[in-house]
Amino acid sequence: MKPRSVAFTLVSCLAVMLYAGAVCAQIDLSGNWVVESTQDGREHASGPFPGNFAGIPLNQQGREAGWAYSGDQHEELYRQCEAWSMPYLVTGPWGGTFTAVRDHYGNVIAWHLSAPLYDRLPNTIWMDGRQAPPPQAVHTNAGFTTGHWEGDTLVAYTTHLSDSILERNGPPLSNQGTLRLFITRHGDELMMLGVIRDPVYLEAPWVKGQDFRLVLAGESNEVPEYCQPAEVVEGLSDGYHTATVLPDQIAAAQTYMLQHYGIPVLATQGGAQTMYPQFRKKLSGVYKPRTTYCTQFCCNGRGAQRLCKGID
Amino acid sequence: MLGALAAAGMLWAATSLWTRAAAQAPAAPAAAPMSAEQAAPIDLKGYWVSLITQNWRFRMLVPGPGEYADIPINEKAKQFADAWKAGPDEAAGKQCEAYGAAVLMRNPEHLHIAWQDPQTLRVDTDAGMQTRLLQFKPPARAAQAQASLQGQSRARWVTPGTGFRAAAPAATDSHHGSLHVDTDHLSAGLLRKNGVPYGTDTTLTEWWDLHTEPEGDEWLSISTTVHDPEYLDGPYIYDSVFQKEHDGSEWDPEPCSLSF
Repeated sequence: MKPRSVAFTLVSCLAVMLYAGAVCAQIDLSGNWVVESTQDGREHASGPFPGNFAGIPLNQQGREAGWAYSGDQHEELYRQCEAWSMPYLVTGPWGGTFTAVRDHYGNVIAWHLSAPLYDRLPNTIWMDGRQAPPPQAVHTNAGFTTGHWEGDTLVAYTTHLSDSILERNGPPLSNQGTLRLFITRHGDELMMLGVIRDPVYLEAPWVKGQDFRLVLAGESNEVPEYCQPAEVVEGLSDGYHTATVLPDQIAAAQTYMLQHYGIPVLATQGGAQTMYPQFRKKLSGVYKPRTTYCTQFCCNGRGAQRLCKGID
Repeated sequence: MLGALAAAGMLWAATSLWTRAAAQAPAAPAAAPMSAEQAAPIDLKGYWVSLITQNWRFRMLVPGPGEYADIPINEKAKQFADAWKAGPDEAAGKQCEAYGAAVLMRNPEHLHIAWQDPQTLRVDTDAGMQTRLLQFKPPARAAQAQASLQGQSRARWVTPGTGFRAAAPAATDSHHGSLHVDTDHLSAGLLRKNGVPYGTDTTLTEWWDLHTEPEGDEWLSISTTVHDPEYLDGPYIYDSVFQKEHDGSEWDPEPCSLSF
């Protein structure tokens, strides 16, 4: 055997060993994951209160778009099956199933994340080093996602999102928005930290954390559903016309939290300042805790619902 | 083909011989164990500010009576909270009961994190002016320690591929990892400033993860699971997010309060 051939083979063997080591170092995310965090239950269930954007770093354009939003528009025939945007993963109540997509050699080239319900699209996190398509490529509610490992954390970056909303009460997300997800597995728990940026509607990153728990396939209550639009929606004129928010309705949304919880518009209009602890000082003397006992949406923690039977 | 097989055989033989030689070599003097500070895969030191992007109404403001949403309370906890009034506790000097370890990282606040000694990470908060000590090498007497507001916290670094590590691990060149903290020996306190209680059997588990973005932002996420057999029907699980600050110019110590 020629010396050059021996050297080539040795180098090849070493390269294979090193590559195999790198692949093995990656964390296996496969399985069914359900949301475990006991937070933002109201937002996850029936949705946030009208006009309440406290803690969301909306700019002026964002809050005005949010106030002008009507949930009725999702009753329109062609929008009934519209999915949520990718950030819904850290703002919504549903998990999903991670499945590894492998090449012929067994290497993971992508992670596929299923959507348990029709209201979020499945997503593929490409791990093969491919570049995102050009900005003018198609934008969808799933977007385009690439990923890489930093230690035991999968860092996924989503672009090419379409116009959407961040929460069910209307704070907007533009098609320039991006999501960076830090996905870290701790045993049977999966921690996701989502950083949402939007140069159009946000004046700072909106950062949300969510915990997921690994469950057996039959243990998940997240049953796949398929959306069937209804031709006629009760309460909406004919299901075709665009919902309209009139000025008096905007005023009602702006003052809902003031009227029901004594929280001033300064807070509920959102903005980066409302995320930081210093903002509490601006509410000193302005906000007074309600003295009457809670009458709606009082308990929604796991197991606590029965305690509030007849109240919620 | 034969050449390749021969080369692979040579590589195996060489590796095997090297391994045996290494095993038969006289043992080198044991290196001094690294301290937790030296072994830290991530640098948590510095000033951090909490981002209140979740449960805003319950964290930034004092909620009204009966607002127990998002906490898996049991009947006993509800009875306690329904009967609770801030006035008597404030008069009794118990303002800090809403700043115990079970919820301290959940409050709107700044953190200052520093090494108190090579085996103890110190976490100070400006809200309520509290101090948590995350001990990588707890003193032997910790098992009999008195209950306190911040309890006893045992910390461990967890680095990629190593699983849980002891306080004095072998040298590592990893720059990634997580901090795992178990806390117990807690005195009773409040999960919310409207009287939702936690008891003395409460324990909590935390995962601290550090994430850096190309844009330059650094985020500290703390995933917390609170177990309380006395007042909770199930685990209370929440995430706290902090943003790295350049310095301590925003540090604003304020005493504990049950009304603000």
